[in-house]
Amino acid sequence: MLSAKDLALDYRTGSSVAHAVDTVSLSVGRGSFVGLIGPSGSGKSSLMYLLSGLKRPSRGAVSFEEHDYASLSGAGLMRLRRRRFGFVFQQHFLVNYLSAFENVMVGAVERDHDTAAYAQALLHRVGLGDKLLKRPYQLSIGERQRVAVARALVHRPAVVFADEPTASLDQATGHEVVNLLADYRRSGGGSLLVVTHDPAMLSDADRVLQMRDGRLMAA
Amino acid sequence: MTNPLSLWNFYFRNKRKVLPVIGILALAILGVVVTDSLLASARETAYATFGSYQKLILVAPRATRDQDLANPLQDSLMRLHDVQLQVDTLDGPGGITSYYNAVVALPAQVRAQLPAVQRLQVDSANARYYAARLRGDLVPLGDLIFRVQRLQSEEQAFNQLVNQLTQNPNDPRPLITYLQQHQTFLQSVLPDSAQLGRLQLAVTSASADANGLQQSLQAMNRDTANLNSAGQNVANLPLPPSPSATIDQFRSALDRLTASLGSIEQPQPGLDKLLADSAHIPGTALVKRDAYSNLDINLLAGNAQFDLYGIDQPGMTQLLTLYGDRVVAGRLPRQNASEIAVSEEIARARHVSVGSKLGNNVDELDRLPDAFTVVGIIGGPTRLGVIPLDYMTEHYLFERRYQGLIVIPQAGHAQTVHDELQRLVGDQAFRLFDWPYIKAKIDSLIANLDSINRFLILLVTLVLSLVVGLLNNLFFRQRMNEFGLLAAVGYSRWGLIRRVALESFGVTLAAWLLGVGIAVAVLSWFNTVFMVPHGLLMNVFDWNVLALHTLPIPLMVFLFGMGTVGWQLLRLDPISIIERRD
Repeated sequence: MLSAKDLALDYRTGSSVAHAVDTVSLSVGRGSFVGLIGPSGSGKSSLMYLLSGLKRPSRGAVSFEEHDYASLSGAGLMRLRRRRFGFVFQQHFLVNYLSAFENVMVGAVERDHDTAAYAQALLHRVGLGDKLLKRPYQLSIGERQRVAVARALVHRPAVVFADEPTASLDQATGHEVVNLLADYRRSGGGSLLVVTHDPAMLSDADRVLQMRDGRLMAA
Repeated sequence: MTNPLSLWNFYFRNKRKVLPVIGILALAILGVVVTDSLLASARETAYATFGSYQKLILVAPRATRDQDLANPLQDSLMRLHDVQLQVDTLDGPGGITSYYNAVVALPAQVRAQLPAVQRLQVDSANARYYAARLRGDLVPLGDLIFRVQRLQSEEQAFNQLVNQLTQNPNDPRPLITYLQQHQTFLQSVLPDSAQLGRLQLAVTSASADANGLQQSLQAMNRDTANLNSAGQNVANLPLPPSPSATIDQFRSALDRLTASLGSIEQPQPGLDKLLADSAHIPGTALVKRDAYSNLDINLLAGNAQFDLYGIDQPGMTQLLTLYGDRVVAGRLPRQNASEIAVSEEIARARHVSVGSKLGNNVDELDRLPDAFTVVGIIGGPTRLGVIPLDYMTEHYLFERRYQGLIVIPQAGHAQTVHDELQRLVGDQAFRLFDWPYIKAKIDSLIANLDSINRFLILLVTLVLSLVVGLLNNLFFRQRMNEFGLLAAVGYSRWGLIRRVALESFGVTLAAWLLGVGIAVAVLSWFNTVFMVPHGLLMNVFDWNVLALHTLPIPLMVFLFGMGTVGWQLLRLDPISIIERRD
């Protein structure tokens, strides 16, 4: 479904070139949970940006379903991200002046009653059913991240990209967050690509890929 | 289900950030509307105040105050003192009386035989008579000249006071000083018309008596010469010294004074002819002699002299009919009465009603002399003030110099009549005042204020654009995470720009509506409590001011804010925000 071939991302600094991602090929099947681990600076986040269309590769090709990223315009890539992908980042990036429920609805593509009901159900599922109207500053860090997870899932994405979603959480809360994502995958929602430096978070993963110096290593 | 990112949510969840911006902009718009409206009011009020010129041409004497009596008066007074000394000598010991007594004392047979001695007796009796009369003339004449001199210096001091007050209306010290120095004199010599008549009579009498004395003395000389040639030596009769040269100079000074007084009586040579000729200009509807005067009124942009037309009674009615005005209270002034009728706006501006007084005695800045009783209030589209011609020309010494004509052209003939009048005036000391001239003067006055106002609006717009633009930028930076996230999850860049533009547009629109709304409310209140009671015009709903003049502020603020924020949004890199660890 999501595949990359000979993917590379170079950063040029003066005359030197840093290979953030160096000739990576992989594929993520429908409904699979792929973990991506590696030390800081190994290129795992960069690889996620390339796979999700947030960045264009220096070389190589990425495709999702029938879409070849190279043939998509910037707007086309945005549409893809908006409609088919979900994102969870290390920080929650909630909008301060919106309630938990409204923040979830920010991720919705359709803003109808079904979506609203689904958003509420998601918040119930992540344990925030009684905090729908709370603002981010009224929630704990773990609760904010759970709202961010619900936001990433509200439009039923085909692939959820989670970039260090537990980095700012304690281990128990981190597990809760990853489990929420894994539940989504298990319930047939879509594929899951989780970037983390903590292998313990990937206990449910179908595949764990390790990155070092921009390359994929055998895990 | 509403969009969580709706403008409604944005505004109502960010009141503490949005409202100050709206408040600042609204206040600026209020300021612009108020200053602009006051300026427009000043212009409209000035137009209305001098609106009568739209249908008439005023022919006024040029620089009438240059016609000065000072020199003839002083010269006459100086000669008068010389003559007084000479006549005192002539009429005193060793003078005409002694000579007359000596002639009378001649033996009767001598006088009977010599007719020349008889004539000498008669002539010396005449000389004695005229000398006594002249002495009697000189004292009141000197007094009158002195009084008129003081009257004139009073006028100069008054003019100086008016100038000082005009230049600095807020400083009452010149007025207080003037009143302290002049109040006694003002009470004693005003009104002055009687002084002029008495002075003229005294001058005529003194001149005639001086002539009689001179002729009598000349006759005495002839008589003495005749006696001597007849062999009758009268050398033992001491002839008094002849003051002939002094009397010549005195009479010459009196002649100049008479001529000057005449110029007051007929202040504008050629006015009568101009009056007659103007009536024959094709396209002229009406020509009237006008002893004009002025009332001081406030126009917001400064004080101005409202023109009063000093015309005859039929002319007053014709003038009102011409402008579509009518008497709404009281009546028009009567013949030869110190009465005035003014438009209701002027009455309000001066806080007067029927029965009140207007004039220099009430307000020192009025050129209208004395105190005139308001007998009528005029209503209608044009502001007018009328006073009786005959009263103005017969009761005031110096006001007589302010005489001119009002010439009313028929519709569509203003320029032709103006040109023909100008031709008739030629080199004479008259000048024409018509609407194009008056309007240009008003526009010129307002233009300076207008330039300052435009500069201030520009400055306010620029400063506000900068300040609000920076506030917007600050606010935007606080929302970087929001925009970074939205861009990352697939919200389009132009969609985000459109959203920020709508947010900014909403704020500036709300500020504009609020500012204009408050401005209308404030102006309505101000119009009611101040402008209308003071006879000032203000168009509260001047859309030119409310819309066009205020729009640059929200527009510039919007464009500046959007320019900077939009540029940052276009360059926004969501990854750099996502990767930020703050």
